Amino acid sequence: MTSLTDRYLAATLRSVPTGRREEIATELRASIGDMIDGRTAEGLDAATAERAVLTELGNPAQLAARYSDRRLQLIGPAYYLAWQRLLIVLLSTIPAIVGVLIGVLQATVADNPAGAIGEGIVAAFNVAVQIAFWVTLVFALLERLGTPLNLPEWSVDQLPELPTERGVTLTDVCASIVFLGLFIAFLPWQHFQSVVGPDGERLPILDPALWTFWLPLLIVVLLASIALEIGKYRARRWTWPLVVGNAVLSLAFAVPAIWLLLDDRLLNPEFVTRFAWLRDGGLDTVARISIVVIVAITLLDIADSVVKARRSAR
Amino acid sequence: MVSDDVLRTHLQELRRGTVVVASLVALRRPDYGYALLQRLTGHGFPVDANTLYPLLRRLEEQGLLTSEWNTEESRPRKFYRTSDSGKQVLERLLDDLAAVQTSLRTLIEGAPE
Repeated sequence: MTSLTDRYLAATLRSVPTGRREEIATELRASIGDMIDGRTAEGLDAATAERAVLTELGNPAQLAARYSDRRLQLIGPAYYLAWQRLLIVLLSTIPAIVGVLIGVLQATVADNPAGAIGEGIVAAFNVAVQIAFWVTLVFALLERLGTPLNLPEWSVDQLPELPTERGVTLTDVCASIVFLGLFIAFLPWQHFQSVVGPDGERLPILDPALWTFWLPLLIVVLLASIALEIGKYRARRWTWPLVVGNAVLSLAFAVPAIWLLLDDRLLNPEFVTRFAWLRDGGLDTVARISIVVIVAITLLDIADSVVKARRSAR
Repeated sequence: MVSDDVLRTHLQELRRGTVVVASLVALRRPDYGYALLQRLTGHGFPVDANTLYPLLRRLEEQGLLTSEWNTEESRPRKFYRTSDSGKQVLERLLDDLAAVQTSLRTLIEGAPE
């Protein structure tokens, strides 16, 4: 037997279970011989006939898979949907959480505000790759082993609700309004009522000088935000004008707040001197953490409104 | 106009199961892989070698075929034969094939164009 057939047999048998290798080899060799004979009888020379026969039999790996009844797929239909669902759930949450955490840690504790966003993105990407790899590996193994998943059967009760006309729920709107109201109430409260120190002394936390302009402005912005929430509830969903209004209001709050924090003008100087750790550099840390949190919340809020507006526009 | 690809896929789907039936019928008379391939092709069941050879082994593992080595000729050949349980399965398959034919015919007659 010539070497081309020998090589073909070796390539095929490599991935056939050992126990059956010998028998398959003998039979396949005979079959190939028969096929070559058939071709030479039609007038082909031996070498051409051999090439034609082996070409007809095709990729040895595929033939071997047919002999061993092996599946030529990473994750088959039995597991695909479960794999996809799990991957979507994990990838849509964990990388973002880890990325934000790492970014905040870098900006605050590690004192690396410049590289914080980059570090956060790199961390999120690495986590995403790890998740995708391990989940896929586990499912590929399940596919090979044929392990039953024992997932509950699908039933009609699992049908998702149709995207209702109301993309904005009353609960969400109420929660937002309560939060905004508390925030507004906090501003005068901290001025008149906050108790500082053991002797029950009352000191404003925020700089009283801000009442001439900045704090009233923030209150106006917060009141406008309440109006926006009500408008959103009446519109029943996020519309593009609402998205723009929300972005403007978010920035109208975040930009002055960040600017005042950077300028060390937000906190009452008397309040700061009362606490040693605030005086000795603690103020910087507080400002930095606050800025990162404000930036993160503002960006998430705007992104969330855009996503929801796109979804309801569909 | 339906594309050739679509037509070919449907024809393949239609033919897929019939290779098993044809093999079980043909192997009531024992034969080896290549000879069976020739016989099936000659009777209008064109089948790829790389499909038929693994299929014969699978049917043997399922107990529908038995096999015997013939070493008398120059080349040792494995002869397959339809087993008793293979014949029972074949009977069921042929019945079902006939039932499909009947159903189709009544469907066609019941809904003339």
